[in-house]
Amino acid sequence: MQILSLEAILLISLIVISLVIIFVDDLMTAVVVYCAFSFVTMFLYIVMGAPDVAFTEAVIGVLSTIFFVMILKSIKRKTKRKK
Amino acid sequence: MRKAIGIILICAALILPFVFFDVLPAIGDPASAPNSHVSDYYIEHTESIANSPNMVTAVIVDFRAFDTLLETTVMFLAGVCVMIILAGVFKTDKRIIEPRSKKMKKHKKGEPVFRGINKDVTITVLQPIILVYAIYVLFHGEVSLGGGFQAGALIGTVLLLDAMAIPDKRNFPDITKGTSAMVAGIGTFIYALAGILTLVGGGFFLEYEKFPWSVAAAEQHSIGILMVEIGVTLGVAGTIVTIMNAILEKVKFDK
Amino acid sequence: MIGTLLAGKGIFFLTLLLLGIGMAGIIVCENYMKKLICMNIMQVAVIFFFLCLGQKNGGTIPVALDSVINAADYINPLPHGLMLTAIVVSLGTTGVGLALLYRIKDRYGSIEERDIIRRGKDKQ
Repeated sequence: MQILSLEAILLISLIVISLVIIFVDDLMTAVVVYCAFSFVTMFLYIVMGAPDVAFTEAVIGVLSTIFFVMILKSIKRKTKRKK
Repeated sequence: MRKAIGIILICAALILPFVFFDVLPAIGDPASAPNSHVSDYYIEHTESIANSPNMVTAVIVDFRAFDTLLETTVMFLAGVCVMIILAGVFKTDKRIIEPRSKKMKKHKKGEPVFRGINKDVTITVLQPIILVYAIYVLFHGEVSLGGGFQAGALIGTVLLLDAMAIPDKRNFPDITKGTSAMVAGIGTFIYALAGILTLVGGGFFLEYEKFPWSVAAAEQHSIGILMVEIGVTLGVAGTIVTIMNAILEKVKFDK
Repeated sequence: MIGTLLAGKGIFFLTLLLLGIGMAGIIVCENYMKKLICMNIMQVAVIFFFLCLGQKNGGTIPVALDSVINAADYINPLPHGLMLTAIVVSLGTTGVGLALLYRIKDRYGSIEERDIIRRGKDKQ
């Protein structure tokens, strides 16, 4: 019961974070918020009793964020707004 | 507008059968179908057959080792793919946005770029700690949490920190992308070699009890798990370093 | 009351919502980098769905203890093993996607979907 409630709260926060990623204009903000997303995901995996998967997610989330930032150096940061 | 209608239709198609029918078991039910058939065998025999108390490691590299061989191959192929895609000579210099610090002032060689924290000292202290932890996770992975994948990712993190923090001065020897792709291939080959050795001993592919040397069955499982994990570690670390080097060749950071 | 609702359909509903948001992001966003990030979001939803099927009430983490012998007391380790490799492979797919993104930027000068479609029509 408590574990399921905690999972529900974390899932709702994940949904809010992913909405932020979709609607933000700056790509750097999107990438940094994606790092927060993977951190909350790691906490979710720990809560549901999968510490191995959480360990992997912690390392891989950081690594993929660094790859995104490296590519971000060569493209424009701002996205075009819809008319 | 057409896109919005499409999305609403997709979400409705996903959610409607779930709301009206009981297709999925309740969470936490010990008698549900995913928890009752094959997983009990894995849980009960992980110490007697595979000789490793960590059940996740036992499932990955002992009971379902053939899956993991193909996953390691996928990682190696992904690294080689990135290397091939980014290998061509194309005009990159025009597209790179000049960083602001390069316009404002020039840096001397060997100096850290960001002045706020002394990253030189921080990285130098942090690197050996992460490296020791990676080795611990690799060799202790069958007893406690961890395993080959995590150790490879940690070693990749160490090399990536080394390349990213101070571009001109490296603490570790500089690995080119060809060498790192070769390391990933060697890792995948070590994994396959464990299978070939069991074939030589007269068993099935990756059946660890049939290694050609004669020790007790439990120790043979331990040797097989360690060999496979070393292969996985080399594969994952080599792939990460390959992707990093391939991208860093094209994207110039301020020096 | 809330516990049975969450265990029956609530958690699965939220997971499907996350999957739908990721899919909507792939369709709606016009920037290719955002499409890659949304692909990762969708993947997290799939991984979480698999891990949900392995939970047990009152189970410990799947590392064998001397005092616990019963198989019903451990969480199911099979979804963990399958999803651990899936997470690591996701790093490889992200790398390949980023390399393709760089090639698109070099070929067309932009990563906005609208610009690339316009450029393709001009060439015809």
